[in-house]
Amino acid sequence: MRKVGIVGAGITECRGRWVEATYWELFQQATRRACEDAKVTVDELDSVVYGIYNDIFEHQAIPESSLTGLIGMANKPGTRVTSGGATGFYAMRTAVMEVASGVSDCVLCVGGEKATDCFDPRSKSATPMVIDTIAKSWDPFYEYPLGATASDSYMQMCMGYDDTYPGDISDSDVRARMIEILCHSGNRNPYAQRREESVTVDQVKASRWIIAPFLRLLEACMYTEGAGAIVFASEDKAREIAERTGQPPVWIRGIGAANESYSPGRGGNYKPLNRIASDRIAAERAYQAAGVKPSDIKIIEAHDAFVAQLMITMGELGFVPIGKTRKLIDEGIMLDPKDLADDEAPGDGQLLINPSGGLIFGGHFVGGSNMFSTWSCRREMINRQIPLGLVHGTGAINACFGGAMVLELDEGGAR
Amino acid sequence: MTIPKGQPALPVDFNLESEVSEIEGRDGETYLQFTTHMVTFYKQTYGEHSRFFMALRDGRLIGAHCSQCKQVMVPAATWHCPNCNFAEMTEIDLPHRGVLAYTAPITIFPSASFLGDAPFARGYVDVATEAPIASFLPSRLRTTTGLERPGIFVKGIELKLVFEDERQGSIRDIFWVPMTEVPQGLRDKKPLLASELDFTTPEPPAVHKDAVKAAALKEAIAAMRKLAGDVGKSRRAQADLAGHEHLVGVNTGGGDFSISVADSRFSIVEGLSAGAEHTLVADDPEIFTRWVHDGSLTDAAVEGTLWLPHKEAFQLLPILDRLPRSTRRDLRDEKK
Repeated sequence: MRKVGIVGAGITECRGRWVEATYWELFQQATRRACEDAKVTVDELDSVVYGIYNDIFEHQAIPESSLTGLIGMANKPGTRVTSGGATGFYAMRTAVMEVASGVSDCVLCVGGEKATDCFDPRSKSATPMVIDTIAKSWDPFYEYPLGATASDSYMQMCMGYDDTYPGDISDSDVRARMIEILCHSGNRNPYAQRREESVTVDQVKASRWIIAPFLRLLEACMYTEGAGAIVFASEDKAREIAERTGQPPVWIRGIGAANESYSPGRGGNYKPLNRIASDRIAAERAYQAAGVKPSDIKIIEAHDAFVAQLMITMGELGFVPIGKTRKLIDEGIMLDPKDLADDEAPGDGQLLINPSGGLIFGGHFVGGSNMFSTWSCRREMINRQIPLGLVHGTGAINACFGGAMVLELDEGGAR
Repeated sequence: MTIPKGQPALPVDFNLESEVSEIEGRDGETYLQFTTHMVTFYKQTYGEHSRFFMALRDGRLIGAHCSQCKQVMVPAATWHCPNCNFAEMTEIDLPHRGVLAYTAPITIFPSASFLGDAPFARGYVDVATEAPIASFLPSRLRTTTGLERPGIFVKGIELKLVFEDERQGSIRDIFWVPMTEVPQGLRDKKPLLASELDFTTPEPPAVHKDAVKAAALKEAIAAMRKLAGDVGKSRRAQADLAGHEHLVGVNTGGGDFSISVADSRFSIVEGLSAGAEHTLVADDPEIFTRWVHDGSLTDAAVEGTLWLPHKEAFQLLPILDRLPRSTRRDLRDEKK
């Protein structure tokens, strides 16, 4: 397997709705910015991997077909990846494999979503239709007819965790403080959907229940329209591009993935509902491939669909003990970006978690959210000279899809 | 989302007028948007799942059993064991009682297809408790004590399987209720039908009247009337109320009042109005002051401080909850 590096990244502004652009324009904008960042033309890109989660949102059964020419990928191989909330992660994994295998030297990975063109005629608003479209990710026989939604599915898993490990994710003060920190991170991200917002602990605790008692309105990710693109290159190509850009390559040091069974149950291969085993297995595989341990990593861009889930995920990724993830706040492990200069690295015992603002404040355009996380992780690693970082993705019913990618800043790579 | 037999598969009001309309972008420019849809109808086969749903129609719950690993799969999602090199599985009858595998979430804001059903509970039931390996059945959970609320469906409670009286072959043909709510004589009945349990209006809670609550109610009524006045100046709030017509009584520890919704406005009437659709109960009238100041009646209902007689009474609450925000946004825009 060949060494693979990130040489360019571009994202669009994250918005609740883009009336000024369709997904054609959003994908092109992200691609254009990634090419500008890598100082490459589309002629240098050998192939493309698309992350597009849901045909219904784009309102086209083969949405990538209409993008091909518009993003300069005519007559090149193109693969579409769709894996629920983890679509972005799996699209990047596919792109990395394509370079690592030697099939391509330089691959564009672009993903995005146009969700809020959906409209519910009865409530005369978008949200119930967006929820319903995502709910179509559940099977039509057993789960969808019961009213399954992404929120209740993730909260079912959080409740299972709380049944087993009481007193951890159930403290609303801890969760609200995490939200406050994520808000401060979002304020620093020029592309974040909620970059202008100021959310306090008290506001989080006073916001409405979505699913009691673990999910209030201000504890959830948003529906976002946007796109993100990453350019992956082989070692030789990456070094050549780094000469042009003056930016160090960020290497993919290890990548791991795991999908749990759809059905929850006891024993066998059934999904245990009180853990996110997919996160744990994926991270262990990524650490093993990279030859690192969680204590070597200071920056994480994790998929925070909901803050209670983020706490469990941080436990599964090995940064805090399962059952005691509240240590992130109780012991000051999760840094508030306000306490750190923009070029400063976290100190011992500290972690920079979702400096982009995460999916909660940054944005969640499902097919490209993990590219958004990767864009941020790379940016922060370069700006702060942090040697190792972790990008995480999760998705599907009861958080049963998981992925993790260890990034490494090039040794010789000064800014 | 139970569509009665013979009704259109797509509800008739689930539609939009065809049009191309203008919409302003953030850049101040005008853009166009067009009405369209992506509806596909199906006559979707249940295929290998048909046996499971035919059993439900017959008042039976079945699973697939593997003689090698002894696992029980319910629902019978396959008849070939994925654990044992796809060995053939056999049909077994399952008990009509089970255990809630984990505390269940209560959905308050449902998807478009389930508007009107909230709040509802969905959880996973461990039915084949004797089997060493078993799947959990995705299940609808109901209570005979009123609305589904947190604290009822907690991990480990024993549940009784209930069948709808009229069944068509759907996972919604069945639901589970806490065993403690089932009269002793019915606990072993197979199948137990929904009509054999009492889901009618439960007894409302008693309120304790005192002078402090009377003063709190006075304050709440003044706050609500101020909000009602603001709704008269708010396009967004009027849009929230458009098409809704209700007269609802409220019994509190500080006295009674009624909320009237009509013609895209709402008003507060002191006392319980004759002809009220139903009566809500809240010992503490302050929840209505909190509502006006960006609190939430929905939260009060979920937390149990606002008692509702039935699910239909819940449907107005998210609409009322929008009013403080809508009026504030319009009044703020006006000031700009």
